[in-house]
Amino acid sequence: MKIGVPKETAANERRVALTPDVAGRLVKAGLPVVVERGAGEAASFADEAYAAAGATPVATGVETFGQSDIVLKVQPPSTQEARLCPEGSALVALFQPSAEREAVSQLAARKVTAFSLALLPRITRAQPMDVLSSQATVAGYKAVLLAATATGRFFPMLVTAAGTLPPARVLVLGAGVAGLQAIATARRLGAVVTAFDVRAVAKEQVESLGAKFLELQIGEQAEAAGGYAKQLSEETHRRELAFIAEHVKDADVVITTAAIPGKRAPVLITAAAVDGMKPGAVIVDLAAETGGNCEVTKPGTEVRHRGVLVLGPLNLPSTLPLHASQMYARNISSFLLHVTRDGKLVVDFDDEIIRETCVTHAGEVRKS
Amino acid sequence: MTDYWSMLFVFVLATFIGLGVIRRVSRLLYTPLMSLTNAISAIAVVGSIAVTGAEYPKVIRVLGAIALFASMTNIVSGFLITDRMPLYWMNDPKTARHAVVAGVTGMLVAVLATWFQPEIVHHGWIVLAIVAGFLVGVPLSLVPLTAVPQRTALSHAFGGLAAGLVGTAEYFLGLTEHPEQLSAFRMSAIVAEVILGFLTFTGSLMAAGKLQEVKWIPQRPVTYPGQNVVNIGVLVVAAALGVVVVVHPTAAWSAQVFSGIVGLAVLFGVLLIIPIGGADMPTVISILNSYAGLSAVAMGFVLNNKLLVTAGALDGSSGLILSIIMCRAMNRSFTNVLFGAFGTVQKTAVIGEQKAWKQETVEGAAQLLEQASLVVVIPGYGMAVAQAQHKVRELYDQLTKRGITVKFAIHPVAGRMPGHMNVLLAEANIPYTALVEMEEINPDMPQCDVALVIGANDVVNPAARYAKGSPIYGMPIIDADKAKTVLAIKRSKNPGFAGIDNELYVQDNTWMLFGDAKAVVGDLVKQFGSGGLH
Repeated sequence: MKIGVPKETAANERRVALTPDVAGRLVKAGLPVVVERGAGEAASFADEAYAAAGATPVATGVETFGQSDIVLKVQPPSTQEARLCPEGSALVALFQPSAEREAVSQLAARKVTAFSLALLPRITRAQPMDVLSSQATVAGYKAVLLAATATGRFFPMLVTAAGTLPPARVLVLGAGVAGLQAIATARRLGAVVTAFDVRAVAKEQVESLGAKFLELQIGEQAEAAGGYAKQLSEETHRRELAFIAEHVKDADVVITTAAIPGKRAPVLITAAAVDGMKPGAVIVDLAAETGGNCEVTKPGTEVRHRGVLVLGPLNLPSTLPLHASQMYARNISSFLLHVTRDGKLVVDFDDEIIRETCVTHAGEVRKS
Repeated sequence: MTDYWSMLFVFVLATFIGLGVIRRVSRLLYTPLMSLTNAISAIAVVGSIAVTGAEYPKVIRVLGAIALFASMTNIVSGFLITDRMPLYWMNDPKTARHAVVAGVTGMLVAVLATWFQPEIVHHGWIVLAIVAGFLVGVPLSLVPLTAVPQRTALSHAFGGLAAGLVGTAEYFLGLTEHPEQLSAFRMSAIVAEVILGFLTFTGSLMAAGKLQEVKWIPQRPVTYPGQNVVNIGVLVVAAALGVVVVVHPTAAWSAQVFSGIVGLAVLFGVLLIIPIGGADMPTVISILNSYAGLSAVAMGFVLNNKLLVTAGALDGSSGLILSIIMCRAMNRSFTNVLFGAFGTVQKTAVIGEQKAWKQETVEGAAQLLEQASLVVVIPGYGMAVAQAQHKVRELYDQLTKRGITVKFAIHPVAGRMPGHMNVLLAEANIPYTALVEMEEINPDMPQCDVALVIGANDVVNPAARYAKGSPIYGMPIIDADKAKTVLAIKRSKNPGFAGIDNELYVQDNTWMLFGDAKAVVGDLVKQFGSGGLH
């Protein structure tokens, strides 16, 4: 069974699905690997490194797809790319089926068995395959670095002959993987960090990183299956907005990470709340891709709203391509080793991991 | 009636004072504290003297003499042991000693004051019982300190016996000589004293036997369906008979009913203790201490003696508070424990033999660490929650200073976010070179002298290797169980994130240190710093 790694074609995507090191491991495990020339270039992995590890460089994307029994990608295939997949082959990538309807139906039409790692169940066995967590870790870390560069302030406190510079006050909204890593990174830089989350379990986790947790009495159960946050009722959401508006007033940096899988991101910071913030404050909105947690966010760019800088970066993990690819490659190869046996793809729907991640199989669309 | 009111007042007041005092006692002094209050509960000696020495029928006085012997044994061994103990702990030896001296003085005053009362005429038997008490009490106090729990239990048994016997003596005395004195109130107090006293007697004997691993007492918890119903049933029947006897103290059959109550109380004591496993014994001993105290209070009401009421209340309240604190630390419901259903936790499926958690003291743990050449620290979420990283750094410094190799084994999913342990250890400036990956350290674990597990659970759970139905099955773990000794610091007996039991904790070479990671590691560091070790 041959594994193919094409170069990512999506705009701004610098990651690659396999690094030379991981490709080497798969080759040793008896799975030959072909890699399109230049696939790892943006992530600092040269073609020679792949070749040295035992993978075969291939000139074009078309050929890469054509020679593969299973294609490994980061971004989902475009509709053209989907058409390049050989009939009955397999594909693994990271995407929400509901956002890629066309590509999904194309894959089904070509009888491709497609898996999306975004649908992995959050169980212990799947932890080595968990791309959402590994990439979110990068996003949380990078968000803080962006904020630290964009702000006009130091993060740590400094007592100097030229006066005392107070530490930055960083507020993190959402204490999932990205939020927690953001808290940790901001703490490493010396800021005073507070965090907020609608889920009650987040309090202890936030405090275990040395940050302060802002508590809002939420009457309802805010945690859904898989540890995600649920959508709140109207009333509770209103109270949440007021609570956040109050606390962003004295924040120098706000990092928002709230997402609801498959849906538009919830609005946490209204335009009015931004009006109440200090001039020179910075908001980094990690949910820009799915609509943004802040009302004034413009996805993919930065906005100045009355002295407050609002950043809506897209695809932050891609901006740390070397390590993001390394983690992605480990995740995807763990998944690969799970779904193959003796060099063949085994699609066993009794296995929870396979059942949940399989988007198309034998011409049928299973998840949409 | 006025006298009863004033005694009730004394009881309530003494209880409050007792609760207030006990709360301020340092955790380290709990065992000597129990020994001390236990000795004080031997205030039953006062009642015993009263009964032995007064102009009562011989049978009554024999009962009194036995009670006196039991109490004296208690007093003598109790004070002598408490005296030995503060030397074992480095903290506050001076003030602890003062408490012992005060106790001895108080007892002496109580004994002499009672002895010199005019009603006491038969001195010979009193002297005899006191001497016998010393003869048994002194050797009893020389038991090794590890046997102190058994000895404490035995002493509770004696205290309970004394109370039970005095109550019986008072009843039969009243029956034969002063039937009109057996008022409802007096009878209630006598019945209470007898039930509490005898159940404490047999219950404590059972507890002591279990701890001493006496051959014919089953070590493992003995449970059977409907056990709680039977236990409560026995108690209810005893109480019902008690009511009968209170209403009809002098009927023809009253004496037999009374004996029936005694028998039921004895039985209940046994039934109460058999479902308990070794690990819960400390809590049980504390509760029995409380019961012994309450029986002394009842005795005080019977004999119209405020001293008994006060000392018994102190004993009862200290036992109660300690039991509650222990239950909280072990995450057990206190009401569960009260109704003798200690064994319910064992109902969950356990692989292999049911084993107990072994607890180590901070001093013992420090010695284990000091004698090691390779220590592998395995941090987990518990360390993060406690924010213990700085104390861990201090421990690291103390160990490396002594030439001990210390490695930190970081499991890929330790904590609640990727790199959770890293950010905390970095904050404490633990050098990167001290950190090792799981794959790197596992082959060396059999050579590891001490695996110090700090707030980690699932990542060191051996079930991941073989338990097919387990939620963590298949996850690679750090082989902490392969180390020569495992010291595990844990907040409570609660399961970890995956919600399952961890057999690492009940292994033969595993010792638990319960508590907040920061506090426990801080105590360990103190052992190295303050001259406990060099």
